[in-house]
Amino acid sequence: MTTDALPLTQTNAPADAAEVAEVVRGAFRDKMPVYPIGGGTALDYGGRPTAPGVGLSLEKLSRVIDYPADDMTITVDAGLTIAELAEHLRTHRQRLPVDIPHADRATVGGVVATAPSGPRRYAYGTMRDYVIGVRVVDGTGMEFSGGGRVVRNVAGYNICRLMVGSLGPIGVITQVTLMVRPMPEASALVVCEVGDFDAAERILAALVHTQTLPAAVELLAGPAQQQGAVLGPMLESSAARVIVGFEGSELEVDWMVGQLRKEWSEAGISTPITIEPADAAAAWDWLGGLPADVQINVRPGATVAMIEQVLRLDSRCSIQAHAGNGVIRVGWSPSQTPPVALSPSETPPTTLPWRELRGAAAEAGGNVVLLSHADDRQLTARDVWGPPGDAATVVRAIKDRFDPQGILNPGRLDYGS
Amino acid sequence: MIHTPLVRELRARLGAENVLSAPSELAVYDCDAYTIERRRPDVVVLPQSTQQVAEVVKLAKRHDVPVVPRGAGTSLSGGCVPLGGGVVVVLARMNRIVEIDLRNRMAVVEAGVPNLRLTQHLAGTGYHFAPDPASQAASTIGGNVATNAGGPHTLKYGVTVNHVFGIEAVLGDGWIVRLAPVENPRELDLIGLIVGSEGTLGIVTKIWVRLTRDPQDYRTMRAVFNTVDDATRTVTRVIAAGIIPAAVELMDQGIMAAIEETMHFGLPLDAGAMLVIELDGPAVGLDAQQERVIEFCRDCGARELLHAADSRQRERLWQCRKSSGAALGRLSPSFLCQDGVVPRTRLPEILRRIAEIGRKHQLRIVNLAHAGDGNVHPNVLFDDRDPDQVTRALAAGRELLEACIQCGGSITAEHGIGIEKVDLMERLFSE
Ligand SMILES: Cc1cc2nc3c(=O)[nH]c(=O)nc-3n(C[C@H](O)[C@H](O)[C@H](O)COP(=O)(O)OP(=O)(O)OC[C@H]3O[C@@H](n4cnc5c(N)ncnc54)[C@H](O)[C@@H]3O)c2cc1C
Repeated sequence: MTTDALPLTQTNAPADAAEVAEVVRGAFRDKMPVYPIGGGTALDYGGRPTAPGVGLSLEKLSRVIDYPADDMTITVDAGLTIAELAEHLRTHRQRLPVDIPHADRATVGGVVATAPSGPRRYAYGTMRDYVIGVRVVDGTGMEFSGGGRVVRNVAGYNICRLMVGSLGPIGVITQVTLMVRPMPEASALVVCEVGDFDAAERILAALVHTQTLPAAVELLAGPAQQQGAVLGPMLESSAARVIVGFEGSELEVDWMVGQLRKEWSEAGISTPITIEPADAAAAWDWLGGLPADVQINVRPGATVAMIEQVLRLDSRCSIQAHAGNGVIRVGWSPSQTPPVALSPSETPPTTLPWRELRGAAAEAGGNVVLLSHADDRQLTARDVWGPPGDAATVVRAIKDRFDPQGILNPGRLDYGS
Repeated sequence: MIHTPLVRELRARLGAENVLSAPSELAVYDCDAYTIERRRPDVVVLPQSTQQVAEVVKLAKRHDVPVVPRGAGTSLSGGCVPLGGGVVVVLARMNRIVEIDLRNRMAVVEAGVPNLRLTQHLAGTGYHFAPDPASQAASTIGGNVATNAGGPHTLKYGVTVNHVFGIEAVLGDGWIVRLAPVENPRELDLIGLIVGSEGTLGIVTKIWVRLTRDPQDYRTMRAVFNTVDDATRTVTRVIAAGIIPAAVELMDQGIMAAIEETMHFGLPLDAGAMLVIELDGPAVGLDAQQERVIEFCRDCGARELLHAADSRQRERLWQCRKSSGAALGRLSPSFLCQDGVVPRTRLPEILRRIAEIGRKHQLRIVNLAHAGDGNVHPNVLFDDRDPDQVTRALAAGRELLEACIQCGGSITAEHGIGIEKVDLMERLFSE
């Protein structure tokens, strides 16, 4: 694992939560920044760290603490990898229905802190919907917990929600309880190509009324997607691909595929292809792991117009949109097969027209986040996240309570001022 | 307080018709559906806009009096009781459905819109608002947000927080915040924090909610068992088979008897438990799923099994579950509807302990449970004119919540903390 993105003076790997707390207490005393490290897959997410400090690796916290499969919950240490988690859940035909890239390295704690999501969010939501309990060490070294081990619980403030996507400054996550779901029996995807973006919007708008229940509604566009990896090249005349994924029992998936094909054929959409259950897993994995440099969030209905603007700004970029959710992921590297790390010969990321994008997204009521900026040390947290919103002062006040010295991941988030 | 400067100022800002200060008017607001503790507010306001709410909050702050928001007042934990007096802000007149936007699968509503009105408004669109607390005809979406309300369908469809993605709220200093309806990864999930905060972080004035596709079809079953263990094992088998029912409602012997005494559905009085199970989804898969569920019921010893052949029969099967509130009302002068939660597999254990607690306090306690997620509603029957019974009912309520904590659960799954459970919070979080 490389921790180059962080200015570390040393790295500790505590054996348990008590030792994590001890490290943080020491750092609190010394006003020394602490950088929690999970699987190292997203250490450059967020702004540049502003000061050298100690790395706090959670790798030794990797136990499954309790897996009452009949209750559909699992409690694990934060350092357990997503792949290991999936392995345990598979023994009871269960899963966490959130798409997480680099599952072999990404850890549960890291995923709670960064909240990645993928195509399946259309049907199943995001990490926010699955974290039901957390144990955390705050910025003073005090341990606290939120939620519990039951799937429904409204006692007290929803600390779990506060932790998801918090990227450090509330505390170091040491233990997580997740709600899990049954593994579907079957899945399939239906794919069509469209000649222009108006047609894409018509298809997406019509999907609002489909009789089927899609698990994912994706749109792919741009040169790299035109070449196509897993799905093969698009037609010369095509502008984009729309992909609808289904999951469920064999009967359901079979019926939904047929039904959508019927709806599309009635709407004059030509020759969709079906990725049959046998090949579907590979396609899902590919869609769930596509890298990106920038993420744009808009309303679902503004997705296509926004994509057109992105392509006008730079026609070389490659686009994957979780179109049913208004999440647009833009890649600038020539190939969309991972890893996306830019070598010096490739277009440096400073040429990404993200400033222009930010204006366009703001006009559409949305926002832009830079996901990867490995080579650019000039970028501030404000560049990465955009201007602080309405509630920045509230966020700062909360953060100051949990981390009064500002020692947890300093610089990676921007709270306004 | 009738002529205090605060009341005068409120009248000037909101109009006299939106400010109540006569004792007779205030009496209506001295409690909610938790009737054991009461306190009359000093003044009640009915604002019509977010701006007015903000003015009220600023005025109250300037006069240093507390503010308690109130929706329909159906809270079962005393969340609307103004223990410290002050201003009760009733959101009922902010009841516009601002926007229905199917392309974005969302609706924008003011906080005072009753839950059911939104779903009725959506009839025919193919979409609905998923959270459906049993109080949905009255309770407001703002109140649902404040309490993170659930209902019978949460196992499959989630609770209110899973369906809210934008909030406008007035914070304690009168500041209006709008938490964007587009997800912004830069910000902590303040929406998730406000949902379920029971009005302690701000007054919610407007809400962006996600709409859910109507299911294509349903299958509804009712199964009667000799024991709670049999019923719980059935639920476990269903879920282990990868079937997530839209609803699994459990009724124990006590509540079946209560329903039978008053409603005469022909429920067997010697049975230990009854389940109402509903499946929904694409029609094509439902018959096969229903067959499996029936098989699991039989395997686990179901002694009576009914399934609905049409929507009228479906209504009838649900009727016996839905009439429980009315049945209890007729049986007892008062009942305390408790709300606890345990890991689902421990339902038999918690129900045994609840029975012991009932015996100990010589009170009749009958139970309903959203069995899919381990949420149990023990109803403690008592006579509120008898102070000794009130004391015992409160003690029993408290003990059964402590039993939930001991079973690895929590003291509320959907009704909230209110004033009722504040003193149990420390217990819960120090276990
Ligand atoms: C017969 C019956 C059945 C019920 N069934 C269910 C059920 O199935 N599931 C369930 O979850 N609950 C149920 N409840 C409880 C209750 O209906 C819910 O808690 C509901 O969400 C409350 O909505 P309300 O509008 O009545 O809010 P109120 O009772 O008026 O207020 C509830 C709490 O929220 C606060 N609040 C209200 N509006 C706002 C606002 N706009 N901004 C900030 N804070 C606010 C209040 O201060 C109070 O603390 C039931 C109650 C009854 C009487």
